[in-house]
Amino acid sequence: MIVVVGAINFGTRLSFIALFARREMPPLLARALRHVPAAMLTAIVVPAIVFAAPGELALGAGNVKLIAALIAGVVAWRWRNTLLTIAVGMAALWLLQRFVG
Amino acid sequence: MRTHFSRSAFIEGVRDMLPMTVGLIPFGIVCGVGAIAAGASPVAALAMSMIVFSGAAQIIAAQLLAAGAPFAVIVLSCFVISLRFLMYSAALAPYLKPVDHRWRNLVAFLLTDQAFASSIRRFRESSDIRANVSYFVGGGAVLWLAWQIATIAGILAGAVIPASWQLEFVVPLCFLALLAPLLHDRTALIVFAIAAIAAIALDSMPMRLSMICAGLAGIVAGVIADRVLGRSATTEVEPGN
Repeated sequence: MIVVVGAINFGTRLSFIALFARREMPPLLARALRHVPAAMLTAIVVPAIVFAAPGELALGAGNVKLIAALIAGVVAWRWRNTLLTIAVGMAALWLLQRFVG
Repeated sequence: MRTHFSRSAFIEGVRDMLPMTVGLIPFGIVCGVGAIAAGASPVAALAMSMIVFSGAAQIIAAQLLAAGAPFAVIVLSCFVISLRFLMYSAALAPYLKPVDHRWRNLVAFLLTDQAFASSIRRFRESSDIRANVSYFVGGGAVLWLAWQIATIAGILAGAVIPASWQLEFVVPLCFLALLAPLLHDRTALIVFAIAAIAAIALDSMPMRLSMICAGLAGIVAGVIADRVLGRSATTEVEPGN
C-alpha cells in the first residue's frame, strides 16, 4: 500500500516534467498554469479556516480560526515572512480562544 | 550529474527553506500521530513518510486505513489529493527541458507545495537552470529531512501534546504565508475569490474532491479574467517569494 501510494505521488509529480521535456507546451495551458499556485493554495487554506466543525460553515466573528487567519493573512501580505505569519497566527488563535471560548 | 550542481545555489535553497520547515514540523507530527492512531507500526509509519513524502496523502491514507476502507479507495483518494502535483509538474516542465533525467526525477520526488511555491519565481526569472535546479534540490532536501524528523517526533511523542494547543492550525498558516503575497493584482484576487467560494460551496463532495474542483474553478476564472482584463499572455502573474 505504501509503495503504491508513493508511486502515485511520484508519478503525478513527474508526469508533466517528463511529458513536456521534449515538446512545446500549448499556450492556453501555459497561461492557465500561472494561476495554479494562487488557486490551489486558496483551495487548501480556505476550508481549513471557515469551518467551525466538518460541514459547519462559520463566517462570523465567533470563528476564532477565521479571525486569527485574517490577522495572519495581513501579516503575510505586508511582511512576506513565513515565521512571523505562523507566530502571529498561533498567538492570535490562542488569545482569541481565551477571550471568546 | 555534477554539471547540474551549483553548491552556492544549493545552500541558498537550504537557507531560504529553513523558515518553511517550522510550518512543516507540526504537520509532520500530526501525520506521525495519525499513522500510529490508525494502527500502523512505527516502522511502517516512517517508511510511508519517507516514500510518500506528502502530508495530505499520508493523513488521508491513515484515516481511510483506520476506517477499514478498501485498498482501491485509499489509492484513488491519494491520487486525487496528489492531482495538484500534476499542475505543479506541468508548470515546472518548460524550465526543466535541458535537465538530465536523473535530476528531473529528483526534482519530481522532492516536489511539494512549499518547494514549488518558493522556487517557481526563480525558475521564471533566471535562466541559470543549473543554479535553479540546485536551489530547488537544496530546499527540497531540507523539507524531506525536516519531514522525517517531524514524523519520528510524531510517532514518539506527538500524542503527548494536548489537543487544546491546536497545533494543526499551523498547516493552513504555512500555506497562507505563501498565498497572501500572491494576491497583488486584480486577476489574482479574482482567482482567490472564485477558488474560495468554490471550496466552501463544494465542501460536501466526497474524498476531498472539493479541493481539486475549487482549484480548477480558480484557474478557469484566472484564464477568463486575463482575457476580459485584456492582459497579454506574456504578463507575469508572479508567485510569492
